[in-house]
Amino acid sequence: MSRDLVTIKGGKDGFRLLVDSSASMEEIEAEIKKKLNENPGFFPEGTKFELEVADLDRSVKKGIGQILSQHGLGVEMSAKKEPPPAPAEKSQMPPQYVIQHGGNVEAQEMTVVEHTVRGGEEITSQGSVLIMGNINPGAQIIAGGSIDVRGTCRGMVHAGAWGDTSAVVIADRLMPTQIRIANMIARSPDIMEKSDFAERASIKDGQIIIEPIER
Amino acid sequence: MSEVIVVTSGKGGVGKSTTTANLGVGLAMRGKKVVLIDTDTGLRNLDLLLGLENRIMYDLIDVVDGRVEIKKALVRHKKYENLQLLPTSQVKDKSAVNPADLMALCDELRKEYDFVIIDCPAGIEQGFQTAIAGADTAIVVTMPEVSAVRDADKIIGELGRSEKDNIKLIINRIRPAMVDSGEMMDMDDINDILAIKCIGQVPDDIKVVTSANRGEPVVGDGDSQAGKAYENIVGRLLGEDIPFMEFEKEGFFKKLMKAFKLSKD
Repeated sequence: MSRDLVTIKGGKDGFRLLVDSSASMEEIEAEIKKKLNENPGFFPEGTKFELEVADLDRSVKKGIGQILSQHGLGVEMSAKKEPPPAPAEKSQMPPQYVIQHGGNVEAQEMTVVEHTVRGGEEITSQGSVLIMGNINPGAQIIAGGSIDVRGTCRGMVHAGAWGDTSAVVIADRLMPTQIRIANMIARSPDIMEKSDFAERASIKDGQIIIEPIER
Repeated sequence: MSEVIVVTSGKGGVGKSTTTANLGVGLAMRGKKVVLIDTDTGLRNLDLLLGLENRIMYDLIDVVDGRVEIKKALVRHKKYENLQLLPTSQVKDKSAVNPADLMALCDELRKEYDFVIIDCPAGIEQGFQTAIAGADTAIVVTMPEVSAVRDADKIIGELGRSEKDNIKLIINRIRPAMVDSGEMMDMDDINDILAIKCIGQVPDDIKVVTSANRGEPVVGDGDSQAGKAYENIVGRLLGEDIPFMEFEKEGFFKKLMKAFKLSKD
């Protein structure tokens, strides 16, 4: 089986588009269209792809931009010229607090909730959600992007509800009944411990992991 | 300046009517003019707690339907002249009153009384919506129990959606010994979740039950812990700064004292 000419990778900071520089424009175009048509609706309108521009021809870059814009998507040129650092290097980096927007800050809406979300309330957003308060048990937050709670999270949170596996859940005290990210579900332990530091839940190696962060 | 207060909880059995009766009597003892409205149509029992059942002539439904004037339906308390009860009907149901009716009624009563206290039915349906309609302040009663706290949380949300922003909390039926041993949710946990101003912590007290059966709210009873707690709440409603009391526990010393007292009697 030959190597894919075009690869779409869901990275930590959004989607990355990898293009084989030896392929012709027609081949690339066909391949991107095929990929996008395989999962129509998977990429919400306005999603931007980071394009690895190691050794791509300028006309090819422009062509890719046009194809994506026909699908209502966008493209961003990667700033770094060198190949992306290996995953091993990445994990050694100190945990940083960044609200991850999937690389499309201006295209995505951010819902800011400036009160405590109480039991029975449901907040749904296509983009990311920032809660300036607690999420109480019985409340639900469903976000297309990431969820950030500046308080205690005790309810049910679903980040990346439309399939964005790079979405994360961050809370000052993360003790939800359930965390869902994309299509994965993690249930809280039956006996909940109070955490004293902010935590982040994300998908790593096919499962939801929770790690302490500084903020 | 008069205030319309609704006492609500979401969950049943946490002590809404008991709280209403005690606050009513407590405020009346302080010389305030108070009227209590029972809105739990079909399941009325505020009259029982006040020992006024046999004096009821007309009810809330009669007033709302315009059959009698408000004054005629009010039942005066046996002991405190400045405390009145507007009972509801035991035969009709919640659909007999609507929010606009109660709002008009509250505005009418507001002119003459210092405090109008509304006893809300359990649940979040029509009866609840009716009861809260005319209120300036809501008192949410809860218990140190997960289901009661969960429902209180929901009720606070509902009150917020109805633009009732002045919400206060009373934690009722606390068992200090169980809180100490970690078997019951503690006050900090509840306050952390509900995040509204707590104006009262009332211990579980058998005197509440015995006094309810007699139709005399516990609030005047100096020997009762719950009675003292209710008195403190009344003080706080009147704007006094009263610290939360320490609960007496049935410790070894207390038991010894009791045994000693018993042997002497």
